Amino acid sequence: MSRAKLEKLGLTLPLLPTSTVGSFPKPDYLLQARARFARKEITQKELEALERKATEFWVQQQEEIGLDVLVDGEQYRGDMVAYFADIMPGFRMGGLVRSYGNRYYHKPIIAGEIRWPGPMTVKWWKFAQGLTSKPIKGMLTGPYTIMDWSFNDYYPDRKSACLALAGAIRKEVETLVEAGAKVIQIDEPALSVRPEELPFAIEAMQMVTDGVPAYFITHICYGAFEFIYPRMLRFPVHNFDLEMSNSGLDLIGLFKKHPFNKDLSFGVLDVHSHKIESPMLVKERIAKALQVIPKEALWVDPDCGLKTRTVEEAQGKLRSMMAAVKEIRQALDKAPKRKQRRIEVGSVVKKRRKKIRKHKYKKMRRRMRHKKK
Amino acid sequence: MELVLANHSSYPRVGASREQQRLRRAYAQRERGEISADDFNRVQDSVVAEVIEEQARAGCELLTDGQIRWVDSISHLAGRLNQVEINGLLRYFDTNFYFRQPVIKGRVAGNGPLVAEEFRYARAVSPRPIKPVLTGPYTLAVSSIRETPLYRDLPTLVLDLSEVLAQEVRALAGAGAEVIQVEEPAILKHPKDLRLLHKALKPLSQAKGSSQLALYTYFADVTPLYESLQELPVDILGLDFTYAPRLPETIARLGSRKTLGLGLIDGRNTRMEAAPQVFPILERILPRLSGGIAYLNPSCGLEYLPRDKAVAKLRLMKELRDTFLQRGKR
Ligand SMILES: [Zn+2]
Repeated sequence: MSRAKLEKLGLTLPLLPTSTVGSFPKPDYLLQARARFARKEITQKELEALERKATEFWVQQQEEIGLDVLVDGEQYRGDMVAYFADIMPGFRMGGLVRSYGNRYYHKPIIAGEIRWPGPMTVKWWKFAQGLTSKPIKGMLTGPYTIMDWSFNDYYPDRKSACLALAGAIRKEVETLVEAGAKVIQIDEPALSVRPEELPFAIEAMQMVTDGVPAYFITHICYGAFEFIYPRMLRFPVHNFDLEMSNSGLDLIGLFKKHPFNKDLSFGVLDVHSHKIESPMLVKERIAKALQVIPKEALWVDPDCGLKTRTVEEAQGKLRSMMAAVKEIRQALDKAPKRKQRRIEVGSVVKKRRKKIRKHKYKKMRRRMRHKKK
Repeated sequence: MELVLANHSSYPRVGASREQQRLRRAYAQRERGEISADDFNRVQDSVVAEVIEEQARAGCELLTDGQIRWVDSISHLAGRLNQVEINGLLRYFDTNFYFRQPVIKGRVAGNGPLVAEEFRYARAVSPRPIKPVLTGPYTLAVSSIRETPLYRDLPTLVLDLSEVLAQEVRALAGAGAEVIQVEEPAILKHPKDLRLLHKALKPLSQAKGSSQLALYTYFADVTPLYESLQELPVDILGLDFTYAPRLPETIARLGSRKTLGLGLIDGRNTRMEAAPQVFPILERILPRLSGGIAYLNPSCGLEYLPRDKAVAKLRLMKELRDTFLQRGKR
């Protein structure tokens, strides 16, 4: 539980702090501008002006909806690995590789020594933080995931490539903290793909976060957690942000066996679905989480980045989430301490449990995910 | 000892040039209904011919059709069976590739040829032997959602799929395949099911006629299973060395009664292997192999690499093999 850590950093957050995983949909004008920029029809400057406009829009939206810890919305990023690979010395853009069906992407190649090129995200963090008094999260991709999603021509093995990346990401973290960032999210969606590599993934994250005065979150949006839990609790961050609503919520079973001892950002919105969850459904999901996670350690957010949804869907989903959180907060405030748990869970939980049992594909779906948040 | 250069299975279907991306465009046009199924097939045919020629030019001696027509290694086969529907995307092992997951609704049954026609076409346009590839019954089964109570137990589905695939093996053997590759990467993650796999491979083995049956595994360390794999009713074992640092010493110790497919060239990474990495392993294990022949092949399908790197790996394979053999002569 890291309430103390947050307070030490000067952050006072309400119970069940709300946030988002990082990316928001790009408005049509920005999508068009990006396509035109790719065709060299507009300048970098012109594109950037629109990226700023879209960032302003999303910061304002998050404030209006009432979220507690905000993001810049990643309006200036494409892929979460390619964004960093494009900037960092040592990387070269590779040829096309298929990801599924008729979808292809350029997979980066580590072709030389990886170095930190100077601030990669700080300018955008500052810009977004300048628009609000609420904390903006620093948003980075973790060394293990960048390594796993790249080819490696240069380093002798996966571990040394990962540790080299950790050195560069560490510098970015330090620069974000110098600029004033207090909450930094470092995404490691690839963390669970090769359980045997968890030890060096942990070592890399240790290099990134060790001794840095910030509250660290890591987002993992798919994966076979059963293979790395509870070992993954050694991952040196304060908060795990996990996909829960699209997973049949069966991580709860794991947590019952081995108590989860960090803060948990609990995904309550399915980002793959167009359907906007009702506040009631979100409440059920939160209630379920409160069965195994103390209320002081629980954050609430969507499963993953919302960038694949429309602007309206993203807004609708977040409003639903916020409405649910407000109701639960009220219930928690009113209830005498002893009775809190019972109020939180109530009968909805029983219903939910039945539903989960019925969920035939839950094992398979847990591993389902899409490329980037 | 003869060292035959073999491709593994898949091959990148697009490359850097506009011409090399025609299949990608045709796919999109077909989806939008802008071209007919025949038009689309013609593009596929031409790309199959192109990648076959590319493999041959790179010095490969046992080629594949590159699985150019396969959406993925699971749904291409499962989608052609009765009582199977194709569902959403699922990650393929530890790769960044996603396959469409089959949902089994009732008793699976064949519904015409799976890949025999594709094999016939590839064979007709190829200057060298073509090796047809099938995903094995076990991997197909564990990659599927079993919705029917008929298959509450995994083995029932595995064995039914095995019967279906045996028919395909028979068709491929009849069509003249010298080697038929069956891929079972999933068994490495579930070693407990090895006996089930053994049972499932029997019908395939009985159907192979004069063809050689090859079992290929990859994407995990095969070393702990190596000895047991020797017992399976197949002629060739394809091994992924990239996950298995202790495999060379295990083979050196135990030898092999079966012909081996040596996956020493990393099909997942762009880095080009060098002689000092590969030769000591060959020196160590080749004398321990029986049968007078081994295959040198990539560790897995080459589709995980960009096209330019895939062809470079095949060229490198030839260079390494030729240098290695010449060195022996001197
Ligand atoms: Zn995610």
